[in-house]
Amino acid sequence: MVIRARSVFPLLIDRLARLISMSVALGVTFFILDPAIAQENLTYRLKWLINMSTVGDIVAVHQGCFLEQGLTVTLKSGGPERDAIRDLELGHADFGVASGDQVIQAISKGSPVVVVAQLFQKNPLQWVYFKNKIRIDGLTDLKNKTIGVTFGKNDEIIMRTLLVKSGLSERQVRLYSVRLDYTPFYKGVADLWPVYINTQGVEIGHKLMASGASIAFLDPESHGVLFVANSVVTSKRLLEEHPERVHRFIKGLIKGWTTAVEGTDTDRIVDDVRRYDRDTSRDLLFAQLDQTRALVKPGKTVSIGRINVPAWEQTEAIMLANQQIDRPVNVGTRLRLEFVE
Amino acid sequence: MLLRRIYQFLMIYLIGLAILLMIKYVVNLSDYVIPSLGILLNTFGGISSTYAHDVFSTLCVAIIGQIFSIMLAFVVGILGRKTTWLGSLIKVAAYNIQAYPIVALAPIIFILLGDGFVSRLLIAAMICYFPLLLSVVGILAEPITEVEHFYQQTGRMRWQLEVKIRSFENLPKLTTVIAGSATLAMAGTIVAEFIAANAGIGYSIRIALYQSDLSKILVALFMIGITLSIYQGALEIAGRLVKSAWEQ
Repeated sequence: MVIRARSVFPLLIDRLARLISMSVALGVTFFILDPAIAQENLTYRLKWLINMSTVGDIVAVHQGCFLEQGLTVTLKSGGPERDAIRDLELGHADFGVASGDQVIQAISKGSPVVVVAQLFQKNPLQWVYFKNKIRIDGLTDLKNKTIGVTFGKNDEIIMRTLLVKSGLSERQVRLYSVRLDYTPFYKGVADLWPVYINTQGVEIGHKLMASGASIAFLDPESHGVLFVANSVVTSKRLLEEHPERVHRFIKGLIKGWTTAVEGTDTDRIVDDVRRYDRDTSRDLLFAQLDQTRALVKPGKTVSIGRINVPAWEQTEAIMLANQQIDRPVNVGTRLRLEFVE
Repeated sequence: MLLRRIYQFLMIYLIGLAILLMIKYVVNLSDYVIPSLGILLNTFGGISSTYAHDVFSTLCVAIIGQIFSIMLAFVVGILGRKTTWLGSLIKVAAYNIQAYPIVALAPIIFILLGDGFVSRLLIAAMICYFPLLLSVVGILAEPITEVEHFYQQTGRMRWQLEVKIRSFENLPKLTTVIAGSATLAMAGTIVAEFIAANAGIGYSIRIALYQSDLSKILVALFMIGITLSIYQGALEIAGRLVKSAWEQ
């Protein structure tokens, strides 16, 4: 049929064939060269609401770090009822942020999750206290204190670990159930209150210092407790089927976090965060940015996004000791170190 | 009646569970997303006694809150049954206040009253009260003409008699409304505990949520459902007993 048609309309068929092949070649060229056309869409589920703790993620999206990698990334905020690891399994997200304990818990229940980067090198969770009311030089000073903990969350596990380290039994302290507001701490019902040092810590610190109070923070890490916080996770399947996509995502993400941590245009960075966090004043956001930078890159030699294997192993050991998992999960096998230099 | 409520709940729960398990195995989800039946049974064995205690604590608060709401709803309902200015104001106020989401008001209540028993009770009563009030006002405002006419004509009609007649004639409706409000009282208490209390099954659900432990949440739902079925069944039996005693 084609041969017959070609013999009837030879010139027309030849021109048509050339036109089609040229169009295809042009299309492929534009597809490869033009990022706007070649974009892949990805969904990134955060651990918590979008605030300064997610500054690098925001910068990566709004300053084009993902676009450079040919990716269009949709940021989805997290929350207590949202779980990035569940979203990965259900196909609602391609990447997510989860804390070390969430990852280990999920592995112990057979979830095919892998860790591809660790955003916070230092856990932001600390306990605030009034310096003029109590004095804490060592862990034994916790004796007879009322300590706020969120039962079921990782601050409970961290505090229990600190108590074990201090040699104090749980009868020698009073654990107070933390709720949404800080009233029990302000009223002195609780002596120590858990806060994220880079967000709530800054906010409370400013308020209390403005009222003339003097506060300090109890940092578990300075007492040898390493408990991994926000890390980037994805599914084993995505990693096996599209390793280059994971590589491009992490490259864009690390560039975003590097800009957030080392960038000099702090006005732009704060403006990016303000798109989401309108309730926090600019002054506070600058202070929060400084604190967050110290958590993401605590030392000059530390690479942004580096996976701290010993910290992960200690997190697993703590969870095992606190019966959060019933057997070792060998978390090291799920840490993929190759994506971050 | 009690048994029927229990097996109806069991049927619904088991169907829901079967659907969850079907999704788990069809989509090949891990135990982290949907726990297996084995894990569920294991969790049930491990925490059922603790959760039974928690549900009982929640139920106690819910019952007290419900009694408080019923009493208040009847007082306000009796005042608001007339087509007077006051009656109309009460109805409008009940409709408007009902529109406020309790979850938005709850944090204010907790800040003012702390996270103890009183806050849980108040929130349970608030969630239960307004729908109850609207039903009670609706029932008590409806005249039973064929009965009331005689007393009105003979000049013996008093407000107490009017309320009695209307309550008696609508007893099945009132029983259903009260039994239904038990669900609201229980839900209200659980919401209160979930937001900020330090006891009860809502508080335990919050902890399970923090631990990403769906098996605990499923066990909690089972305990809440079975307890509520028994309580509602008991309320319905009580309603029947009241009716038969009144008829005699």
